Amino acid sequence: MTGLDQLVGGFAVALSWKGIAYCFIGCLWGTVVGVLPGLGPLAGMTLLLPLTFGLEPTIGIIMLTGIFYGAMYGGSTTSILVRIPGEAASVVTCIDGYEMARQGRAGPALMIAAVGSFIGGTVSILGLMLIAPPLAKVMIAIGPSVQVVLILLALAVITAVSAGSRLKTATMITLGLALSTVGLDKLTGAARFTLGNADLTGGLSFTALAIGLFGLSEILINLERIEQVKAIVPRLADLVPRWKDLRESAPAVGRGSIIGFIFGVVPGVSHVVSTFVSYAVEKRFSKHPEEFGKGAIAGVAGPETANNAVTGTAMIPLLALGIPSIPATAILISALTIHGVQPGPLLLTEHPEVFWGLVASMYVGNIILLILNLPLVGIFVNLLRIPYTWLVPIILIVSVIGVYSVNFSTFDIWVMMISGAAGYLLRKLGYEMAPLLLALVLGDRLEENFRLALTMSGGSYAVFADRLSVAVLASTLGVLLTIQALAWIFGYRKSFADETGSG
Amino acid sequence: MLGGCGLFFVWQSLRLDLGHPGLPGPGFVPLSLGVVLLLCASLIGIECTRQREVEAVELGHRDVLITLAALLVLPVVFEPLGALLSLGLFGSAMLVLIGRIAAPVAIAGSALGMAACWYFFEVLLGVSLPPGPW
Repeated sequence: MTGLDQLVGGFAVALSWKGIAYCFIGCLWGTVVGVLPGLGPLAGMTLLLPLTFGLEPTIGIIMLTGIFYGAMYGGSTTSILVRIPGEAASVVTCIDGYEMARQGRAGPALMIAAVGSFIGGTVSILGLMLIAPPLAKVMIAIGPSVQVVLILLALAVITAVSAGSRLKTATMITLGLALSTVGLDKLTGAARFTLGNADLTGGLSFTALAIGLFGLSEILINLERIEQVKAIVPRLADLVPRWKDLRESAPAVGRGSIIGFIFGVVPGVSHVVSTFVSYAVEKRFSKHPEEFGKGAIAGVAGPETANNAVTGTAMIPLLALGIPSIPATAILISALTIHGVQPGPLLLTEHPEVFWGLVASMYVGNIILLILNLPLVGIFVNLLRIPYTWLVPIILIVSVIGVYSVNFSTFDIWVMMISGAAGYLLRKLGYEMAPLLLALVLGDRLEENFRLALTMSGGSYAVFADRLSVAVLASTLGVLLTIQALAWIFGYRKSFADETGSG
Repeated sequence: MLGGCGLFFVWQSLRLDLGHPGLPGPGFVPLSLGVVLLLCASLIGIECTRQREVEAVELGHRDVLITLAALLVLPVVFEPLGALLSLGLFGSAMLVLIGRIAAPVAIAGSALGMAACWYFFEVLLGVSLPPGPW
């Protein structure tokens, strides 16, 4: 079966009534969580995770991925209309997007953001289709030692690209790896850190930890600072951009697609980094850099395209290597595992329908989002008029039911609550939660492959420095360092510091 | 807190079979991670004491404390009272205390919400929630 045949098969799944219906639900819910401050793609995906249990794996993954890129779309709406980023990747859009809205040009800003997102998303799906299958073939040939090297590399990159203190990020990674060892040891069956509690033998529930560390901690932080917002809502007729807007946006959309595509494979906060780099690149390429910050449409088009281009490429390490590059894709790993599908190089040979169904659904989802977002922008913005303190009980109740329904265990509700309180405290003290969650997902595989590699080599650590490991390590490191250097050259850290500093 | 976590992992790992560096046992990796965690916590501690101006972190916001307290009670009553009743009470308390809604309206809203939860999760999705004593 050729790739084209498989893609056609994927479209048959994505265009079935079930495929379209669940993709629509995912996109709609994703846009809602993207619009609402405090609910990003990760919380949105974890909340609807239980809904996928009764579905076929492909349909479940289609819905969850719809939430992921739907949230990226939704985040831009609030950035432009109320200067509140719905999620971290939309922070940059606030700068020029809100300025445009204040000047009565919210419509073109929203339209360009939506079209840019659509183009960026489509380009990245093309990349996913072309890169993931050959990469998976290479990965099948490698052994546990190279897997260890790759995972360590991913964790090192997460530390390097972190916007905050590197020491704190490294601490969070270590904590995540340590927490992943809780439960029965896979190789010997020994119970570790269970303290005699039967609920802990299967390890800490990933869903409970993810909802606690991200969703609950975010809600608690927002309770301290959310104020009622006043939104600028444009009319449908105002959405049409001028010819000048299109001319200025086109190159920004092109560059944003490339930047998002490249940064999507970088583990950590690639979707956030790509937006800052795109903004800095647009400012540098612009004939009128002085207009940036005062409502330059390229400052909206570039970052919005970049953050949506990341969604497709972020799937490459997930589907081809089984390594999540951002927290949202870690939830997809969890969902696939629950459905008995192991993400990684064997996914394409053992479950090609999941891979190609997902690829096809992303095309469909991008079109759904384009149709959904522009005419319904007024409805989505009105969601912000509901007081946040009314939404909190609803979100928490759905979270509790969601967490409980994974293992039907009240213990998981305790895990969610304790991790939420710990996450809130750690975030207040300047720690990031994403590295912890990614390390938690990768920890299991890291330890298993590390011990397996040593057993196979008769206890020789030279196995981690054999020719293949070194070649993979050197080439991957080379690519990542180049990307990092580009991020530094274009001033991601400076932009991030300026932005967060200015509040 | 992080130092405490590190100590816990070191202490518990020492009670497991460590193996040896060439053939690590189940306690080897967690012990190493516990040590690294302790080291990181110490470095962060030193960094904090060296900083002249430490940014004060404000804790104790009323709504946050209420939410945490309500969440603390929820798992205790979740199975004995049943999911719908315990979540309904949780929702009502939250709407009254942090949503500043009049109690009758909050109770009515919660009852409606619970009916929706029952229909969506139990009927449509087939998720069996704790029924409680009834």
